[in-house]
Amino acid sequence: MALRGKYLTGCAVLALAAMMTAPALAVDPSRLLTADQNANDWLTNHGSYKSYHYSPADQINAGNVKNLEVAWTHFPERSTRGIQSTPLAADGVLYYSGSYSRVYALDGATGKVLWTYAPELDEELISKQTHSPYNRGLALANGNVYVGTVDGRLIALDMKTGKPVFDTHLVDSKKLTVGFTGAPLAVKDTVIIGSQGGEWPWRGPIFGVDGKTGQKKWEFFTVAGTDEAKATWGGESWRTGGGGGWMAGAYDPETNTVWWGTANPAPLYDWAGADWQKSGPRPGANLYTSSVIGLDPDTGKLKFYHQELPHDAWDFDSAVGEFLSIDRGGQKLMVHPNKGGFIFVYDRANAKVQNVWQLVKNVNFVKGIDPKTGELIGRRDLSAGKADTPLCPAIAGGVSWNSGAYSPKTGLYYKIAQEWCMDITVIRTTPILEPMAQLNIGADFKLVAPPDGPARGHLDARDPVTGNKKWEINYKEPPLASILATGGNLLFVPDSEGVVHAYNAETGQELWSHNNGMGHNAGIISYMAGGKQYIAVPAGWGSLVSDEFAALWGEPFKSMAKNTGALFVYALKQ
Amino acid sequence: MRISVLRNGAVLATLVLALSMTCVAAQQGPSPAAKAEARPPPEASPSDIDGPTLFASVCGFCHQDGGRTEGKGPKLAGTKRSDAFIIARIRNGKPGAMPAFGGAFSEGQIVAILAYIRSLEDDAN
Repeated sequence: MALRGKYLTGCAVLALAAMMTAPALAVDPSRLLTADQNANDWLTNHGSYKSYHYSPADQINAGNVKNLEVAWTHFPERSTRGIQSTPLAADGVLYYSGSYSRVYALDGATGKVLWTYAPELDEELISKQTHSPYNRGLALANGNVYVGTVDGRLIALDMKTGKPVFDTHLVDSKKLTVGFTGAPLAVKDTVIIGSQGGEWPWRGPIFGVDGKTGQKKWEFFTVAGTDEAKATWGGESWRTGGGGGWMAGAYDPETNTVWWGTANPAPLYDWAGADWQKSGPRPGANLYTSSVIGLDPDTGKLKFYHQELPHDAWDFDSAVGEFLSIDRGGQKLMVHPNKGGFIFVYDRANAKVQNVWQLVKNVNFVKGIDPKTGELIGRRDLSAGKADTPLCPAIAGGVSWNSGAYSPKTGLYYKIAQEWCMDITVIRTTPILEPMAQLNIGADFKLVAPPDGPARGHLDARDPVTGNKKWEINYKEPPLASILATGGNLLFVPDSEGVVHAYNAETGQELWSHNNGMGHNAGIISYMAGGKQYIAVPAGWGSLVSDEFAALWGEPFKSMAKNTGALFVYALKQ
Repeated sequence: MRISVLRNGAVLATLVLALSMTCVAAQQGPSPAAKAEARPPPEASPSDIDGPTLFASVCGFCHQDGGRTEGKGPKLAGTKRSDAFIIARIRNGKPGAMPAFGGAFSEGQIVAILAYIRSLEDDAN
C-alpha cells in the first residue's frame, strides 16, 4: 500500500535523522578500557583510565588552530559557584553537569538539547553546606550516566532519555553536612564514588555501587578503614578524622586495582608540634588520610597504600584525582601529584615509591621528600600560636584538584603549580558534631606572597618520571581548570581570567586564544561529532580556591560573577 | 587584640538580652527563612560558647586572619553592619557564598561569634 510505504519510508528517514543528530549509544564498561586510544569520545572524567587528559584527535592541530572559533554554546540554569565539571562525550553526544548536580545531554555537533535532568535536592541542607552545590563530573557505563549529589546520593540516568534508573542514598548528609561533589568512576559493573571529608569530622568513605541495580556493594572508610589504620589514631580521634576521597581516581586493568587519592585529616592544623605521635587532637599517622590507596573494585578490599603525608598537619592531601599510568624502561609506573607541590612516582603493582620530584618552588612544610622512600625530611610541625614565618604553600595548595595532562606524543607531563604562602596562627578546637557536623579548621590564616616574588601560577612541561623540565609558562594568577593535550601537538589551558590558550605542546609557544569572559574552574575536553573535532570547556567562576583571588589580585576577580556559567564549544572555521 | 569573650555566664546573659533588644528594635527583621528556623537548636553548654574557638573552627576558613582581613569572605574587623544584620547573616547565610548556621549553632554561640567580631581591632582605624 502506497501510504504505508510512504509512512515507512518517512519513519526510516526520521530514524536515520535521529541517529545522525543524536546517535547516543550505550557505553559498555569494556569500552572504557581503550578510551585512551579513542579520538572520538571522552569517556571518563580523566579522559581514560590512564588519566592523561589527552585526546589522540589531530584534526585541530598546531598548523590550523588559529582558525578555531566558537561553534556553539549552552547556558545551564542555577550555576551557583560557576561550573566546575569536566564534560564527557560518547558517540557524538556531549554530557556535562552543573551546580546542583544538573545534567545536560547535548548534540555534540550543534548543541541541541537532547535532555536535561535536575534532581530534587535537599535545599535546606544545601543552604547549610560550605563545599556546595558544585558538581565536578559524571561517569558513563552500562547505558547510564552517573552523577553524585551534595545530599549524599548516587543517581543513574538512562543515557538516551535522561530518565532516572536508580537513586541510591549513601551518605547521611543531614547529620554529616557533606555529600558528593566529585565524579564517579565506572569499573566493570561497579560505580565507585568518594565522599567529601577533609576538614569535616567524619570518616570519609569511598563507595562501590552496582552499576545496574544501584545496590551498594561495599564501603571503604578512608579513616580507620582497617584495624591497622585504627591503631594510628590516638584515643577516639578516628571517629572525627576527616579523610574522604572527593575526586575520581583511576583504574589499572592489569592488576584490577582502583587507585584513589584520599583527603586530609581533621582538624586541618594540629597544635601538637613535634610530639604529634603522642599528643594533639589526632595523635599518630592517621591512616589512610593524605594517602593513595589501591582497592579491589569488586570488593572494596584494600590491596596496598602509600601515605604521602603521615600525620598531615598542613591540609596538603592526596585527593588530587589524576593517576597517570606510565610505562618506562620495562617499569609500570603510576604518577600522582600531592597538594603540597610534590609529584610521587609509584610502582603500579604495589604503590612502592620509585621517585618523588618537586613541582612547586615555594615549599617549607618539609625540607624535602626522600625520592627513594617517600619519607618526609625536616617536617615543620606547628604548635599553638602564631607561626614565625609563613607556611608554604598556602592552604589552597601547591597544586589544586584540577588535573594536568600527559601527551604520549611529546612524552611531557603538563602541570599547573601555585606559588603562595600564608601567615598562620594555630588555635585549639574541638570537633562540632551536633546538631550537625561543622568544619574543623584549627587556625586563623591569611594568604600572602611567597618569598621569591608575587603570588602566581605556572605551567610546567616536564618528564613525568624524572621531573626534568622542558619549559615553563608563568601566569599572574594560577589557572584553576583541568587542561588538555591532543594528538594535534596542542595543549589547551583555560585560565582564571577567562581566556582559553592553545600552545604548541612541544615548545610552549602560544598559537591561539579566546576570551570566554569569565574564569574557568572546570575541565576541557576534545571529542568528534559527525567526523569533526570539537573542543569543549565550561566557563564559570566560583570555587573555594578561586574565592581567594579577589583579595590577592583585585580585578577582574572582584567584579567576576560567581553564579553564572556557560559551556563553550569550539571547532575550525568552515 | 585577641580576647576570649563570654566565659562569664552573667556577661553572656546581659549581652544576649541586649542583643535581643537590639534585634527587636532594628527594622531588619528576620527573613522568612529565619522565621522558619524559629525553633532554636539545643543551647550549647557554657564551655561551648567561645567565640574565638568557634571562629577558628568554622568561620576562619573564609574570613581570613580571624576575620581581620579579606579572603574568601569579607573582612569583618571594623564592619559597619548592624548587630541584627550580622546575626541574621550567621543564621541564614548567603546562598552560594556563606552557609546558614541557624540550624547548627545555638543562639548563644551566634552571639559569641558576634561578640568576637566586635572585639576585633580594625587596623584601618
